Amino acid sequence: MSDAENVNDNLNEFEPVQVFPESEDMDLRPGADNCYKCTTCDTACPVAEVDDKFPGPKFQGPEQWRLKRKEDEGVDDSIMSCSNCMRCDDACPSSVPLSQMHNTARGEYVEEQMDKLSREYIRNRILANYNTLAMLGSKVPRLTNFVMGNSLVQKVNAKVLGITGEREFPEFAEQTFREWWEERGGPQVRSEEKRVAYFHGCYSNYNTPEVGKAMVRVFEQFGYEVVVPKQRCSGTPMFANGMLDDAKRAAGINVENFTGLIPEGYDIIASCTSCSMSLRQEYPELFDIDGIEDLSTHTYEALEYLRIHEDLHGAIEDAEVSEQAFAYHAPCHARNQGLDRQAVELFRDLDGVTIQDVGDSCSGISGTYGWKEEKYDTSMAIGEEMFDHMHHAEGNVGMTECPTCSMQMNHGTGYEIRHPLQLLEEALV
Amino acid sequence: MTETPSVLVIGGGSTGCGIVRDLAMRGMDATLVEKGNLTHGTTGRMHGLLHSGGRYAVSDQASAKECIEENRVLREIASHCVEMTGGLFVQRPEDSDDYFQQKLDGCRECGIPAEVLSAEEAREMEPYLAKDIKRAIRVPDGAVDPFRLCVANAASAEQHGARIETHAEVVDVLVEDGEVVGVEVKHDSGPGTRTHKQPGTTEKIYADYVVNATGAWAGQLGEMAGVDVEVRPSKGVMTIMNTRQVDTVVNRCRPKGDADIIVPHETTCILGTTDEEVEDPEDYPEEGWEVDLMIDTLSELVPMLKDARTIRSFWGVRPLYEPPGTGTEDPTDITREFFLLDHDERDDLPGMTSIVGGKLTTYRMMAEQISDHVCEKLGVDAECRTADVPLPGSEDFTVLRDYMDEFGLRSPIGRRSAQRLGSRTDEVLKTDGPNPVVCECEAVTRAEIRDAIEGSGSDLNAVRIRTRASMGNCQGAFCCQRMANELAPEYDEAVAREAYHELYQERWKGERHALWGRQLSQAMLKYALHATTMNQDGDPAETGADVDFGAFDSGTDVAGDESGTTAVADGGSKSDERDASTGGTRADK
Repeated sequence: MSDAENVNDNLNEFEPVQVFPESEDMDLRPGADNCYKCTTCDTACPVAEVDDKFPGPKFQGPEQWRLKRKEDEGVDDSIMSCSNCMRCDDACPSSVPLSQMHNTARGEYVEEQMDKLSREYIRNRILANYNTLAMLGSKVPRLTNFVMGNSLVQKVNAKVLGITGEREFPEFAEQTFREWWEERGGPQVRSEEKRVAYFHGCYSNYNTPEVGKAMVRVFEQFGYEVVVPKQRCSGTPMFANGMLDDAKRAAGINVENFTGLIPEGYDIIASCTSCSMSLRQEYPELFDIDGIEDLSTHTYEALEYLRIHEDLHGAIEDAEVSEQAFAYHAPCHARNQGLDRQAVELFRDLDGVTIQDVGDSCSGISGTYGWKEEKYDTSMAIGEEMFDHMHHAEGNVGMTECPTCSMQMNHGTGYEIRHPLQLLEEALV
Repeated sequence: MTETPSVLVIGGGSTGCGIVRDLAMRGMDATLVEKGNLTHGTTGRMHGLLHSGGRYAVSDQASAKECIEENRVLREIASHCVEMTGGLFVQRPEDSDDYFQQKLDGCRECGIPAEVLSAEEAREMEPYLAKDIKRAIRVPDGAVDPFRLCVANAASAEQHGARIETHAEVVDVLVEDGEVVGVEVKHDSGPGTRTHKQPGTTEKIYADYVVNATGAWAGQLGEMAGVDVEVRPSKGVMTIMNTRQVDTVVNRCRPKGDADIIVPHETTCILGTTDEEVEDPEDYPEEGWEVDLMIDTLSELVPMLKDARTIRSFWGVRPLYEPPGTGTEDPTDITREFFLLDHDERDDLPGMTSIVGGKLTTYRMMAEQISDHVCEKLGVDAECRTADVPLPGSEDFTVLRDYMDEFGLRSPIGRRSAQRLGSRTDEVLKTDGPNPVVCECEAVTRAEIRDAIEGSGSDLNAVRIRTRASMGNCQGAFCCQRMANELAPEYDEAVAREAYHELYQERWKGERHALWGRQLSQAMLKYALHATTMNQDGDPAETGADVDFGAFDSGTDVAGDESGTTAVADGGSKSDERDASTGGTRADK
């Protein structure tokens, strides 16, 4: 037998070990099949509306993917101007996987084209990993709040890191939600039938534990056993900054810690609509992790879950609170989950409450986006419509489910902003 | 002979364009006439495979050897037309092991680099291959853009002094004293680049020698000269997918059969094909089952094709030829070799030779042989240089620069433009004015469209084949009118309108074979856009009907006039005055 024949025979049994590493990459070109270029996504894009240089989601998504050849590198840098609000997903009449295309392209751009020593990369990495920042900061909340509120520090942030000095850094709570949870001794209600695992995310842990507490008290009021597994960031800011490796690590931990509870009858509840969006949609779209689909189908937003399983409306109709008025903004990520009307539909029947939807525009901050110095003006231009409608609404308190939308609402109007769970707690507990 | 000998080439396909370039480079006075656009016949209707020779390695080794030789030449001289994708011959479990071995041996006998890949390796390369494939042979197949290739050959010929006349149909072959001395052509719009609406003329073109390179039309041409050329046109269907499911040419490894190849072509994949003899190369049925056959059969290799979107289908006719008396029954058994038919030797008609058979991959070799033949006939001693001198666009172009920065283009647009334009990128894209994208699907900018118009007149189909504008998933929905717009101010409105129509209709011709699912949605959007925003379904300017300009209101002065004499906003008459015979309906009344 000649050598050549030997080689051929062996080839039949040969198990290749990652001969072509790029085949691991996600090929989303077939997703372009769904696009018939109606351009509805472009008309729904809040960035394209205020920034003429931004080519819009149709280009970023189906067009750019279709133009790719396998070996091509070179995602257009405009992908970094996409704020990942995902309104294009909601706008598309033809199920083009737009945000999946954008997230994947952004990941590829950051991985292959962005200088890892650049200020932009370092800044984005820091912003994307807010959980780490917050964990450190909240160890000494008063000091951190003092330092971050210092105008000199803000100037340094702007100059050195490119984080806008226009915004006030969110204050850290003196006691995190998890610390409170430990202190109260965990669940106060035990149940075999009604069980939820709470995904609090970073913000209601470090910055607004009152939202997390409201969630626990409301659910316990309805007889749910609430557990709070260890968790990492949902990944939303990491997707938005193209840090897919970081997001994958966090997702791996979250999937592991939550999916084990599903067979025991737990559903996963988030109080932040971006966290629930991430677990539901982005996880299975972007990562191939054991149990990730299971987690996705068992994740709900808090109000949504109660509206499905309890007579929440009946309870609200029977309740009463002191006179108050809210200017409610539906976060884009809530809209994508079909949740944009739930707070208004619910609270308009609560005695004492006036609630007004401030329209379907985007708040403009989109998580870390509006924190970037070069994106600040765009962010505020997008928010203009919402600020305007808030001013026209009755009262001077805002309401939204999303922590960064609430920062933007507060920043643009000076209003105090509350979470629907807080009002629910006030009415029912 | 003291004067430069003159040669007339009939047929603007790859062979004709290759011949006219070769002859012009040898210093001859060469003219090419073509009845439509370049690539109008078979060249523009093929799957774009640059053969490695693997397909013929068992059945037709002479052709296989020619293919691998020319494959190597074209990679060098036509680099901007060629994408070296590599190719696979994929064996499914039901396909014969014997044939697989024969294919492998055949490749090696013909000098075609061939390597056996396990199913896992093949699927590493092409993840969408069926999970149950057995194994594959890797060969250096590639993809070639036949349009760009022909245009580049013609451009090179012109640079060497040749005359290229498209839209110049031969209406007669001139025979004097028993010798072919030239042809009479009918110019669609006068000689030179095409301008719609310009009146046609006829011209007698005399030449020392005439080459009939009309492929499947060679018989018809021969008839005009009074000779029999027994071409056996055979049709094949090709279906274009919206995206590239594979980046490698995927062949089914089994003896001849329908629907056995997928060629990645630019932004798309082309599925092919069938082989069925037809009487007339211009009039044959295009049937839906042929398209279904492509998708169904090739889904066995790449299952996702089943649900993937097709954007159009087209048919081509192979110019098959076999010497009289061979009598092959099945067209798939007819050789793919090419033949020179010297009508002097064959039919006692000096002055003309026909070239028939062959395939695009070997176009240059065919051109070289017939040019040698013509030189010999005319007593010219000149070397062929076409294997060494790159085509315009394929000159040394080793460094792909950062086109996005240099030309202000977004990176996929700059990259695709550079892939199409090759070494001409600088020359074409450097423009003073703004350079917006005209065709979004294929990333074609205004500068490239204008460059093409310069080369081909008001003919937007010629612009299309040069640039790929309107060849993407919307099939011209968003760009036909923008392309027509670029004809101004050089051409007037009536010319632009006719050019627009011609392109628009040509797009429907293939798209109508893809009207289900998502392409149907696309087609409906296209129809709605063009009908409702451009009034294309009943524009008086199109239909020739008189426009009642008096019915338009005369502006803001009469606002509030309640006499009832003013017209409705779209310029038509009010519904109660509307005569049923004027047609049209108004949804709002």
